[in-house]
Amino acid sequence: MRKRRRKSRNGFLRSALCAAAALLLSPVHAEPPARVMSLNLCTDVLAMPLAAPGQLVSVSFLARDPALSPLHVEAETYPVNHGRAEEVFLARPDLVLTGTYTLHNTTQLLKRLDMQVAEFSFVQTLDTIPDDIRRMGALLGRERQAEAMAADFEAQLAGIEARRCARRPTALAYEQNGVAVGEGTLAHSVLAAAGFRNLAAERGISGMAPFPLELVVSERPDVIIIPSGESEGPALGARVPRHRALRALPETRIGAFVPPGTWSCGGPAVLDAVKALDALRQEIAPCGEAP
Amino acid sequence: MRPLFLNLALALLAMVLFLVSLAVGPAELGLVEGMRGLLAGGGEAATIIMREIRLPRALLGLSIGFTLGMAGAVLQGFLRNPLAEPGIIGVSAMAAFGAVAVFYSGLAGSSLYALPAGALLGALAAVLILMALAARSGSTLTLILAGVALSSLAGALTALALNLSPNPFASYEIVFWLLGSLKDRSMEHVVLAMPLMAGGWLLVALSARAIDALSLGEEAAASLGVHMARTRFLIVAGTALGVGAATAVAGTIGFVGLVVPHLVRPLTSRMPSRLILPAGLGGAALLLAADVAARLVLAAGELNVGVLTALIGAPFFLWLVVRSRREVF
Repeated sequence: MRKRRRKSRNGFLRSALCAAAALLLSPVHAEPPARVMSLNLCTDVLAMPLAAPGQLVSVSFLARDPALSPLHVEAETYPVNHGRAEEVFLARPDLVLTGTYTLHNTTQLLKRLDMQVAEFSFVQTLDTIPDDIRRMGALLGRERQAEAMAADFEAQLAGIEARRCARRPTALAYEQNGVAVGEGTLAHSVLAAAGFRNLAAERGISGMAPFPLELVVSERPDVIIIPSGESEGPALGARVPRHRALRALPETRIGAFVPPGTWSCGGPAVLDAVKALDALRQEIAPCGEAP
Repeated sequence: MRPLFLNLALALLAMVLFLVSLAVGPAELGLVEGMRGLLAGGGEAATIIMREIRLPRALLGLSIGFTLGMAGAVLQGFLRNPLAEPGIIGVSAMAAFGAVAVFYSGLAGSSLYALPAGALLGALAAVLILMALAARSGSTLTLILAGVALSSLAGALTALALNLSPNPFASYEIVFWLLGSLKDRSMEHVVLAMPLMAGGWLLVALSARAIDALSLGEEAAASLGVHMARTRFLIVAGTALGVGAATAVAGTIGFVGLVVPHLVRPLTSRMPSRLILPAGLGGAALLLAADVAARLVLAAGELNVGVLTALIGAPFFLWLVVRSRREVF
């Protein structure tokens, strides 16, 4: 599922456009929308902490999944939707929040039905998140809260990034079926912020692409980050990142490391992923010592 | 050709392809360096790649190919049907469905042992159904048509079970179950499947003498002192055990059991029992070769090995059908 949200790479252009759109939209919406519906996990995690009480009428069903959603506990207090056009039409919200990549047919249909739809791009990196927060604030009429949250995000991130030093261990985010996460992804920016070198990006992978087991063994990354994913049903693909060949690497640390759901979507919770990896990096390659 | 000479030649071919299989992979690792790594031990990358990735893959290619080739020879001899083969008559597809149903339902957690347990049940059910059908109707065609129906049903049920899984990645694995692959297998899979397959080989070997007598027809065989119930049990259990275990770890790999017996039969005395060992060795060679090709055909990634065996086997099957129509019907 993550795969779908991280497809293209023109993040800079998009964040600039988003900011422009937010500026244009904010004066028009003098009256904030009273009933807002979020159809996508990534808009859920932005809208839940920002919306006024009662403003968010439902969130996507994925928001309650502990393996995917960092706000799964909060999501229990909201009704859920399955992103179907009929549900939206019956609920008649003032504003629909969704992603540009997923559920594209639904979005087209809703626009034809004259619904207000705001689309968020989910080719996110750490750099795009503050602007996404501000845009969400503008859409919900909660600019002040959003500004505070975005500023806090930027300050915390800058604080962590300042701790990086010349010692940069290699890491590989290794997903189901031996797919690695490369350049231009949220995970890549998180690894960089925490002071890791992303092995997949250095081997020319952008977006997500298969990385053969044999090459992982011969590259010997310092850290392999595998999905925790035990809450879902079994699948054979989940065994590849847990292959015995990787466990046989004597100096490689293998684990989930990142709290569940924190780097699947670019919301404020991504900071927890950055913090967790920063702590890991300080443990395996402390800055004070010579390399 | 002398049986000993034929078996030695085929064993040599399988051994060479086994070594080639060990030498092929995305890591730039030649045969010499690889062999040194395989024998050296320790935490060197070459050792880990050889011992944990390439060796299990080559061992599975060898033993699964052997199982499928042998199962094809036995089924063709026992059912007196030149088109019989675990893939075509639906044994592999039912084994795959059994494995999928037990594993993805999460009944056994995410334990790998669920795979052979389910696959053996599926394969056993398929063999029993087909034996019952074969006993009622002697026609070559009935059995093949029943097998086709069983295969499609099992394939559809496999897709259904995978789509019902709560895990979003499960539905992508339908390709593995329908077309088979030896990619990213580990020693765990070898430990899981090899003893079961070896048990299947043993049971089939015990039935060899009886199959010769059966080529004269069941009544003639009975009058020659063949214990029919015992023979049937050995073949049913042996085939289900072997094909079930093979499918549990590699998915459905078709046509190996069809092509190989026909290729080696002209080199034997045409006694069904004399065909079993050469068909197994030839099957091992064919699957190893197909698995090497599956890794080399695409520059990035690899093909499912069942695609290659079908590319070789399906036209062969068609040719056999045309030829057997001329001769038999």
